[in-house]
Amino acid sequence: MTTVFTNIFQYRELIATLAWKNVVVRYKQAYLGLAWTVAKPLMMMLIFSLLRTFVGIDSGGVPYPVLAFAALMPWMFFQESASEGVQSVVGNAHLIRKIYFPREVFPLTAVVTKLVEFAINFAILIGLMVWFGIAPGPQALWVPLILLYTMMAALTLALFGAALNVYYRDVGQMLPVLLSLLMYASPVIYPLHLVQQKLLEQRAAGEWSELLYTLYTANPLAGIIDAFQRVMLKGLPPDLGAMLPGMAVVAIALPVSYFMFKRAEADFADVI
Amino acid sequence: MPIIEVDHLSKEFRLGQLTSLGQALRNGASRLLGRPMAGRAPFKALDDVSFSVEPGEVLGIIGHNGAGKSTLLKILAGISQPTRGRVAVRGRVAPLIEVGAGLVPDMTGRENVFLNASILGMKRAEIKRKFDAIVAFAELEEFIDTPVKRYSSGMQVRLGFSIATSVEAEILIVDEVLAVGDLAFQRKCFDRMEHLIKSGGRTVLLVSHNIRQVARICTRGLLLDHGRTVIDGDPVEVSEVFFSQSNHKIEAQALAAAGRQGQIVSSGEVELEEVRLFDGRGSEVATIEVGSPLRFRARLRLARACRGIEFVVGIHRTDFVYLTAAGSRDVLPDATFAAGVHEIEYVLPNCPFAPGTYSFRIVVVERNGRTMFQAESLRPFTVRSDRVVALNNSWRLLELPTELRIDRTSFVFNECRQDSPVKEGAA
Repeated sequence: MTTVFTNIFQYRELIATLAWKNVVVRYKQAYLGLAWTVAKPLMMMLIFSLLRTFVGIDSGGVPYPVLAFAALMPWMFFQESASEGVQSVVGNAHLIRKIYFPREVFPLTAVVTKLVEFAINFAILIGLMVWFGIAPGPQALWVPLILLYTMMAALTLALFGAALNVYYRDVGQMLPVLLSLLMYASPVIYPLHLVQQKLLEQRAAGEWSELLYTLYTANPLAGIIDAFQRVMLKGLPPDLGAMLPGMAVVAIALPVSYFMFKRAEADFADVI
Repeated sequence: MPIIEVDHLSKEFRLGQLTSLGQALRNGASRLLGRPMAGRAPFKALDDVSFSVEPGEVLGIIGHNGAGKSTLLKILAGISQPTRGRVAVRGRVAPLIEVGAGLVPDMTGRENVFLNASILGMKRAEIKRKFDAIVAFAELEEFIDTPVKRYSSGMQVRLGFSIATSVEAEILIVDEVLAVGDLAFQRKCFDRMEHLIKSGGRTVLLVSHNIRQVARICTRGLLLDHGRTVIDGDPVEVSEVFFSQSNHKIEAQALAAAGRQGQIVSSGEVELEEVRLFDGRGSEVATIEVGSPLRFRARLRLARACRGIEFVVGIHRTDFVYLTAAGSRDVLPDATFAAGVHEIEYVLPNCPFAPGTYSFRIVVVERNGRTMFQAESLRPFTVRSDRVVALNNSWRLLELPTELRIDRTSFVFNECRQDSPVKEGAA
């Protein structure tokens, strides 16, 4: 297990350089450059806000656009990290065939690259908060930890998916579909407290309610998005109860995923 | 202690299509049920190869395409894993496998230096320190802030080579990279390689098709054929074995081609029945020694009696440079040839061609100049030289009996090979 961290540490410069390359190449010939990073969550936020005028979602005292944006940021960070991470090994086939360094550098790089975009979106969030007159409290110091946890959740999917994608490219095709479904199972459009209300307070599913809630929060994104909204917008600490099931899932699945990646790694150059 | 140890190394690949998801599921199910799985035949890229390299050795690995050279280098570089056997590499490896592999077209030369060098394992501080030298060696000072996609292919390769050779490592793995750029830059690359190899006692593994280069800069040679070690030892000796192996291969190909009867254009009046090649002793051969007699025999069938036609027999190279031709009109100016089979013999008392592959050509021309029949690439044969040290084949077309005299007082005798002053001469 320690080799994981020594590897990451030893190859930190390479990961940084590759991430920088990803960012540079992506926006090199785009006139608006990095502005495209913020375009997507901003547009989604507008559509969600429009949608809300029809269906009415209780945003719990926080202006809905900010709430939606604060949900979209970790969600997109997770979604794009995972899907680019899955493609990262196959996408760097030319390097895999030519040179050796630990292959987890590629999924890690994909995640780190998305961190840059997250940072840019973070600035936008601050702007929105200023606009709506919300001041972040000291609880915002949780953000780095929440982010680290999100990265681990994304890597869980990315490592396993990237290895499988080398053998079966179906994985790369399938993942975006699955992820877009997962968005509806995560508190992105609606806040988590609505789910809590429905299941924990109104017990809409009768005796199954608690189980259903645990199942819902086993999706790490449920806890992550809620925690991010709480610490940034509400000045509350993360709701550990909502995060624990997801954390348990990541704590078990990430080592398994990493182990499978390392097992498959030896054959990447031959199969890819 | 050897810096590289390869112990009974084998590498197998599965040939054919990668199994589909469905196939994989069925295989998985069969495995669970203990039934045999649908398999594919393995292909042995390396078959029980063992050798070890001491620090400072320069090992040249040669072999035909598909001999397993690149697979071996990939395993040593850690890119690929052995199927069986053990590989121990004690030291940092700098793989120069296909230079410029990691160049990103959209980024500038400067950005690419940083990117590519860190991919090759250099630290940022080290890159900064060496940056100017890298750019200077690649002769790209003016263009370093231009995107690499605007570079000519030669410029890209120069940059790639310059970055790759800046990596400090105990073991250098070089796969066919010296043939880059224009002649002046090739010279520079070659000098740099020699410098890298000879200074600092680095261990170098060099894969090359340029056998002379191997013989020149390597301290040891390893010849692979179909994944097996043929010979491991003195580089000159190893390249000799390789050359004779190559000749056998060319001969085999030529013989295979001979079965196809060459390219024939005929008006239908003439038909080629048989072509055969004999040496001076009258036995049928496919190889002729330089300077020895050659006898070519062809049987042609005429559909009708023809008057005043000429039979021409000649020899051409594989690139259709016509070297010799002899016509029958000199001997039979106005003969009438009856319908039926005619035998033509073409004799060259001492074959003057430089080593290589040659073919015969037969043309039948009517009196008015119309070509009735033309056949090329007939009966390919190779010419072999018994010279000890092969001469560059591109330096000559012919090998005639010549004598090269060098004034014996003008050189120090003991520095030369014993046989060099007198026997090595040729036109």
